[in-house]
Amino acid sequence: MSGAARHAPVTAGARAASKLGRLFWLVPLLLLPVPLFLDQYQQYVANLVLVYVPVGVGFNVVVGNLGLLAFSNVAFFGIGAYTSGILMLKLGLPWWATVFPAGVMGGIAGSAASVPALRGVRLFYLAIMTLAFGELMRWVYIRWEPLTGGSFGMAVPTPSAFGWSLDAESHKFYAFLVLATAVIALTNRLLRSRFGRAFMAIRGNEEAAAAMGIPTDRYILLGFAWGGFAVGIAGSMYAALVGHLSPPSFDLSELILEFAIVMVGGLGSLLGSVVGAVVLTAAPEFFRDFPGFEELVFGVLIVAVILFLPRGLASLLARAHPALRDRYYRE
Amino acid sequence: MLALLPQLIVSGIATGMLYALVALSMTVGYRATTVVNFGHGDLVMIGGYACFVLGVNLGLPFAPAFSIAAALLFAIGFLIQRLLMQPIIAGPHLSLAMMALAVGYAFRGAARLEWGNDILKLPHPYPTATFFVGGVVFTMDDLVISGFVLLLLLVLFLLFNATPIGKVIQAVFQSQRGAALVGINVRAFHGVMWGAGAALGAAGGVLLALIVPLTPDIGVWTLVRGFAAMTLGGFGSLPGAVIGGMILGIAEKVLGFYVSTVFIDITAYLVTILVLLIRPKGLFGQQATIRI
Repeated sequence: MSGAARHAPVTAGARAASKLGRLFWLVPLLLLPVPLFLDQYQQYVANLVLVYVPVGVGFNVVVGNLGLLAFSNVAFFGIGAYTSGILMLKLGLPWWATVFPAGVMGGIAGSAASVPALRGVRLFYLAIMTLAFGELMRWVYIRWEPLTGGSFGMAVPTPSAFGWSLDAESHKFYAFLVLATAVIALTNRLLRSRFGRAFMAIRGNEEAAAAMGIPTDRYILLGFAWGGFAVGIAGSMYAALVGHLSPPSFDLSELILEFAIVMVGGLGSLLGSVVGAVVLTAAPEFFRDFPGFEELVFGVLIVAVILFLPRGLASLLARAHPALRDRYYRE
Repeated sequence: MLALLPQLIVSGIATGMLYALVALSMTVGYRATTVVNFGHGDLVMIGGYACFVLGVNLGLPFAPAFSIAAALLFAIGFLIQRLLMQPIIAGPHLSLAMMALAVGYAFRGAARLEWGNDILKLPHPYPTATFFVGGVVFTMDDLVISGFVLLLLLVLFLLFNATPIGKVIQAVFQSQRGAALVGINVRAFHGVMWGAGAALGAAGGVLLALIVPLTPDIGVWTLVRGFAAMTLGGFGSLPGAVIGGMILGIAEKVLGFYVSTVFIDITAYLVTILVLLIRPKGLFGQQATIRI
């Protein structure tokens, strides 16, 4: 074996990406002054974008990187949101103390949702089952009235972090920025490790991955749990942002928004999830006055992306600069 | 309490027949392409609206309105398959499922834009009557729907099992490449079968609109119950779809009455989850999962 081959092959893209990786931490710093330029409503929308960043990131790990047809993401989102809400309302915990439990509950739900996948349920069967799981959770929110407030929903107390009240939208922005950045950074670590490579192998050919000695079950469980954790944290942020949780927020139209984020941003791309969240989260706010328009636009948009841009907006960015190319997803 | 059981079973079967019809139409599409159409519920919904527009807004009699609606949905199903599904048919299942889901969403959005949250109801084309047999009430709707579904099951069963078309369907289901090699036009076949599935779905939508109010969200409701019926009966099995639908209908009514009203809404979800976990091939299906 020659000397050059023994080292990991360093491509121009990878070198540029590692340089870019250090620049990653600059992005949240550059976003710090953003609240100075936004009014109250714009700030709310910006916060919503930050909520949907971990939603997209977590969902993408399961759907994009693991390549499993799991539609249970909205359930993790709802479980995270209600966990935070219930802990704040019933136990009087401050919001910051509920973020991690919300993520853990989301992770537990994710592990539970992976059970059918571990039992060999795949493809459409898995999709149907996880869809049923998500819808079932909505009935739990409606029926478990003492805790969730039933169909009327529950009012979430004003969030606070370490003694500071996050009553202004701009305060929430900073808290959310920290959380979203942490989820992105941790997911990036995960995808760059052997876990991410195992995900890629499973996605490419599960039988072959298993034959090579990759414990596919363990990685699938881990992928689901991490996805659920990230989305659960997003749910906790959502609870803090909107201040009122009700079951219709976690129905199938929520699912299509989350799907659209992953698909339009770029399947299996971390950068894509972020781009998708930025591009699409604000959209429902514009369509509020025209019921149905949102569904129509998202439906057509996803169809168009699947037909003409299968790797989403992230693939357009990758064309612009090799450093933005995605290394955890291969056709 | 127990005296009501026969009545619950009868009305359960009647509701279950509607689920069976949706499941049958989904089975037709599935048997043709091995792809489950996640947008099927919305095609059912569009079928109901099409019949409403033709019958009520344009004033056509029921039979032509019904036929034109079915023909229209055939065309829509055919075009969806040819223009949207066929280009990605070799791609990952994820894209196929997303595509169908997205098409369904677009339809739902269009229906909501047009009809908003109006609650529409189709007028009955036949006299509504109720019959009493030994203390059990039957309505005309029950009889019409059950009769239609059983007739359809018979026709489809014969078509699938006793005609040359059935052999083509089986061949394509087993191996698309093999079917193409022996001279079957697989693409055209896929399109036609999706169209047929959509047309049958439209029939389901019309019958549904006779007894429950038509709203844009009816598609999700039907999809979930059609899936549950299909899962219970076994994917791809025609009699399984009907029997699964009936069992689901009965279970909803009986559990809903004797245990808790919650079960009226969640039985379909529970059935789907439990069947896929415990016996993924359902009652009559073929082996369905990949094990590693």
